[in-house]
Amino acid sequence: MADTRDVAAPVSTRCARSLSVRLAALCLIAAAPRVAVAQAGPPAGPAAKPAGAILIASFNIQVFGESKMAKQQVVEVLTRVVRQFDIVAIQEVRAKSDEIIPAFVRAVNADGSRYHYVIGPRQGRTVSKEQYAFVYDTTRIEVDPSSVGVVPDPQNKLHRPPMRARFRTRITPAEMAFTFWLVDIHTDPDEVPQELEALTGVFQAMQTARPDEDDVILLGDLNAGPPEFKSFQRIPGVAWAVAGTTTNTRRSKTYDNLVFTRPATSEYLGGWGVLDLQATFGLPLEHALEVSDHNPVWGAFYPAEVRGAGLPPMAGAAPPVLR
Amino acid sequence: MPDIQALVASLSSQDTAARVEAAEALCRAGADAAPAAVALVRACGDDDDQVREWAVAALEELGPPPAAAIADLIPLAGDGHPLVAYWATTLLGRSGVAAAAATATLAASLDAGRDPAVAERSAWALGKIGPGAVAAKPALERAAAASAPRLARLAKEALAAIGG
Repeated sequence: MADTRDVAAPVSTRCARSLSVRLAALCLIAAAPRVAVAQAGPPAGPAAKPAGAILIASFNIQVFGESKMAKQQVVEVLTRVVRQFDIVAIQEVRAKSDEIIPAFVRAVNADGSRYHYVIGPRQGRTVSKEQYAFVYDTTRIEVDPSSVGVVPDPQNKLHRPPMRARFRTRITPAEMAFTFWLVDIHTDPDEVPQELEALTGVFQAMQTARPDEDDVILLGDLNAGPPEFKSFQRIPGVAWAVAGTTTNTRRSKTYDNLVFTRPATSEYLGGWGVLDLQATFGLPLEHALEVSDHNPVWGAFYPAEVRGAGLPPMAGAAPPVLR
Repeated sequence: MPDIQALVASLSSQDTAARVEAAEALCRAGADAAPAAVALVRACGDDDDQVREWAVAALEELGPPPAAAIADLIPLAGDGHPLVAYWATTLLGRSGVAAAAATATLAASLDAGRDPAVAERSAWALGKIGPGAVAAKPALERAAAASAPRLARLAKEALAAIGG
């Protein structure tokens, strides 16, 4: 049996105070993911996840390519990070090879986990391209394959137009399951205000992309924090998970977030966090930076539709039409 | 703190693995790698894609380059390798008014035949320089009439920033 020990829960784990009693109880269930660090022996089986919540994360894995995958200790940390969450929206897959994410998911599943992935095309205005990916736990989440794609950007306003996909939880009956769009984005740090403006339009387009889906969660590396979200404020009910803390590994910037609207996404439980790589894995800064210059950020969501129960099931639904 | 000059020297190594390691280490150095700005831009023209990707990642997070680097970045903005030209141009734009001496080079990048991403970033950079880039107005006016919507938009924004 593996000798394991629990290490510190992620820094900056919060639960909102304004939840109803029922959701507040679920918020407790959805408390911070815990990380078990194997000391010796064979890998432990997949960690149990909460029944009352799904955890959706965003992680910019800086220059996720061959040289990073060649570092066993880095891959080990990355796999342990992913296993804490039900879905991880990844930014910065940068490689000529198409084998990076498949090999990584095999490493994630080495403990018996059953994750799968969808990955977008290489994007970027120069020869330096990036891909987005969603890695998700198939025991708890499914994707609508017809929904996976890149959000059109006909005016060429975004350096790397976001990847979108529609997911559904599998831990509640299908007719009650929480369904939602995820929109994965990595903005250009030199054109942040312009790209945030464009993303406001993207968000609103996704809200009307199909009549049976009101839940849109835009997540990723925005290269900006809430004080810069002025254009998002035009979206009625807009909210974001991460505030008042830093999200980069150097603990100096708030760049990563999950953006959604309320009351549409009332499934948001108020639980969120930044999985601080240094604190969680006991890594010195230099080693944490080998993993990434960003920490993962996450939010907890109720796995059933809180409003609008009885939405049509995903199977057989019409593909999204973006305006 | 890493030895930045030693890492800069390693970027020119004949050994690909050493160059990859140096570029990655400079990336991990964050803003401390600013003295390596010119070397990182040159590394964007490396034959190895991992060297290029780490160099690009380092440059994305570098912020404005040291003022002393501007003179070396100007000729690189006209480099024949599009990724080298793109990142030299980006760093010049981040330098703002201090990069006014780059106006002629950046204006030349707007003309037909240049890499579209370099042309677009040149328009952006001229806008960041502002009134000091007034000599680029004729080239920007031609670009503003271009059929490429992004280049035209950025050229118009640059003209507005230059004013006059």
